[in-house]
Amino acid sequence: MVSNNSQHISQQFENELQDIRSRVLAMGGLVEQQVANAMEALVTGDTEMAREVISFDEQVNEMEIAIDEECIQIIALRQPTASDLRLVTGIEKTITDLERIGDESVRIARMAINLSEKDRPKRNYRELQSLGNHVRGMLRDALDAFARFDVEMALRVAKEDREVDAEYEGILRQLMTYMMEDTRQVSRVVDMMWSARSLERIGDHAHNVCEHIIYLVEGKDVRHLSIEKAEKVVKGEPID
Amino acid sequence: MQAVNEQKNVARGIDIESMTRGPRVSLADETICLEVKDFNLFYGEKQALHGINMQIPKNRVTAFIGPSGCGKSTLLRCFNRMNDLIDTVKMDGHLLLDRMEINSPSVNVADLRRQVGMVFQKPNPFPKSIYENVAYGLRLQGVNDRATLDKVVEKSLKGAALWDEVKDRLHESAMGMSGGQQQRLVIARAIAIEPEVLLLDEPASALDPLSTLKIEELIYELKEKYTIVIVTHNMQQAARVSDYTAFLYMGELIEFGATDELFTNPAKKQTEDYITGRYG
Repeated sequence: MVSNNSQHISQQFENELQDIRSRVLAMGGLVEQQVANAMEALVTGDTEMAREVISFDEQVNEMEIAIDEECIQIIALRQPTASDLRLVTGIEKTITDLERIGDESVRIARMAINLSEKDRPKRNYRELQSLGNHVRGMLRDALDAFARFDVEMALRVAKEDREVDAEYEGILRQLMTYMMEDTRQVSRVVDMMWSARSLERIGDHAHNVCEHIIYLVEGKDVRHLSIEKAEKVVKGEPID
Repeated sequence: MQAVNEQKNVARGIDIESMTRGPRVSLADETICLEVKDFNLFYGEKQALHGINMQIPKNRVTAFIGPSGCGKSTLLRCFNRMNDLIDTVKMDGHLLLDRMEINSPSVNVADLRRQVGMVFQKPNPFPKSIYENVAYGLRLQGVNDRATLDKVVEKSLKGAALWDEVKDRLHESAMGMSGGQQQRLVIARAIAIEPEVLLLDEPASALDPLSTLKIEELIYELKEKYTIVIVTHNMQQAARVSDYTAFLYMGELIEFGATDELFTNPAKKQTEDYITGRYG
């Protein structure tokens, strides 16, 4: 169990592990902000904010590289085992997903710029806004679960992904209807589809982060399992 | 259906089955070589081992880890009755080698030690030639035929990955070898009499990193023929060389399991604390 309260004999090592953990949370916070800003830019047509999201992506990338380097240092110098090893490898994977979420925010920001040049729809992207809120909630909760090493919460967030997927399907159907109703709208609706797609991907990455949390806390690999099976694995019950 | 599955599992010539989750070894599939049952050991009044139960599989490397004084060397020494030499030692419970009671009065200790060889922390070659060091055990058994000895010496030195380094100076003193070479010589001496089990007590702790790697590589090769039990303070070494790991703490066996599993996801908190270097 990673909920190990005892301290390392090496205070230095203890500090290094604490440090990568807080850096992941800092990176998570930045990424969360990127998603929020990209959505804001999309909904309000604020191209300046969209450009800011695009330029901030470099920071996200730099953070990924910095944390990655620190993890490699720890592996090389400390040879971590058990929960420490799982923490380091779990973080390695988590930051990959966070970085990808950053990339999806940039995609949404690009779509925001495209869409700002077109007529705004009556409903003002309300369906995208709702999906955006949903995945932002997932991301925030996933990061909370990481901060607290909370497996229950990670499972709950992972479960949300299914609803996000359903919501995404619904939006796709709706957008296709728009296209069929009015072909002049195709170009705008395609941009909206790309944005919805990016949001759905963000949900997938948040789901992945939850799987990494479960692995690093419990040492149980729940990747590619249905939520029901993942719950059983966490409880130590047999699956199949 | 099964054919389909088989096809799926060897897709594009990759054996996916062998790459899927779970440790690579499982005690259930092993032949047991050494068995410890409800074993207690006392040094005078002081109990050093408490109710140990353990099965050590054949042709595998089993590592004993634990802090100093946890009883790992004591337990190791029981397997070839090294503790017989200490008067105050009392034992109860069972120690079995291929189901034979090791401590039974009917066991000839010299025979037992031929079956269960031991290598210590500090290389201890005899002050003789390299050749005579390896031939020593056979000579003790009364083998003096030159051709037989030549053959065994060469085979053992090759087995200990030392032959190429010493073949041109077999009759020089073993004391002139490096520490790493001496340790491999001692292993060659131990395998010359073809034991069943090799006990290694900190075999690499006095060696430099390169010699250590050679010993580790050798251990990997030796398990083809021998059952190996190794005591080590170097946890990374235990993780690298062993198939199974036993964690002992204050004379008790805390956890025994596949090394892959024990070093990534130990079942007990005490094991976790020890291998991650935490205060208990």
